[in-house]
Amino acid sequence: MWRGGKIKCNMNIAFTALTLLSLVFMTFAAPTDALPTMITGVTNAIVLILKLTAIYAVWLSVLKMMEATGLDRKLSRALRPVIKRIFKGESEKSYDYISVDLASNMLGMGGATTPAAINAMASMCREEGKATDNMLMLLVINATSIQIVPATVIALRAAAGSANAASVFLPTLIATSCATGIGMILAKVCAAADRARERRKERK
Amino acid sequence: MTVFLIPVILLACMLYSAVKKVSVYDCFLDGARESLSLVKSIFPYIAVIFVCIELFRASGLSAVVSGWLSHPMRYLGIPPEISELVLLVPLSGNGTIALLEDIIAEYGPDSYIARCAATIAGASETVFYVSAVYFSKCKVKRLRYAIPVSLFASFCGMVTACALCRVM
Repeated sequence: MWRGGKIKCNMNIAFTALTLLSLVFMTFAAPTDALPTMITGVTNAIVLILKLTAIYAVWLSVLKMMEATGLDRKLSRALRPVIKRIFKGESEKSYDYISVDLASNMLGMGGATTPAAINAMASMCREEGKATDNMLMLLVINATSIQIVPATVIALRAAAGSANAASVFLPTLIATSCATGIGMILAKVCAAADRARERRKERK
Repeated sequence: MTVFLIPVILLACMLYSAVKKVSVYDCFLDGARESLSLVKSIFPYIAVIFVCIELFRASGLSAVVSGWLSHPMRYLGIPPEISELVLLVPLSGNGTIALLEDIIAEYGPDSYIARCAATIAGASETVFYVSAVYFSKCKVKRLRYAIPVSLFASFCGMVTACALCRVM
């Protein structure tokens, strides 16, 4: 929550609460499973990390090529009018990363999205540990993922013998654009509210 | 058509690099090297989330909470059969896909419920995972309004998805 500054939305609180509640449940339901479950969690994380290492190795190479040839700058120049309006006052490098991130997100290239987004966040970061409104906007856009082709889902439906596996394409596109649109508007509103509150605090 | 998208992009990048006389070999070396350090900085965040999700599901808490939520969700047009999916989507991508497979197997791929589930899974992103991993390099802990806004917006997307599946 962002109002009043009393309850801070903080990763720590979210994770502690969820883990604690689950552990309480676990203690009553299956006490012997508690530790193995946590270890399974980390094992899954390691499996995923190994997969991600491979995926990022390929996509980071492609991103390197785009940087070396200036292709990312071209892409960023093409997307500039839109991006500049959403993210005001960032450096050229940040705009390049943001455009690669958004373009790959829309094309459903998840592997390229994450490294580009992490670089974009790092380049927009002015003060360690503090998130600017632009960074949060980028997070909200990515977290509500505009995706043009939901490839995995369509593949799953086709595998299950759907009569028309791709029929979810249009509803998905509308739903995801709707989510991203609402997210962007709310992020702007919250950023403005935050700024207004800070101004009021200064006056006091 | 879309099958060709990624190979064509890869091909175009490589050809363009060759034309511009950039060493593709060196790019791959750098990419692989950077991938290791990137993964090293992401790993702790992923490990924490996975422990949390695994506990959440295995303890039965997710089933209980989705039971509570299924009633209010019905008013918004989300079928109660997929309330656990709605809960899992912001937490875990793999969990979502596994649950979607179960739903498709149980209700048939072209049923209303399975189409809703597929649209929801296709239209949303793992909010918590994204929030943790994206800030792994600049170590931001306080995300202010970002998570509530993202969660609320994706929830609106899910309600839209279910409404659209009814008419489309």
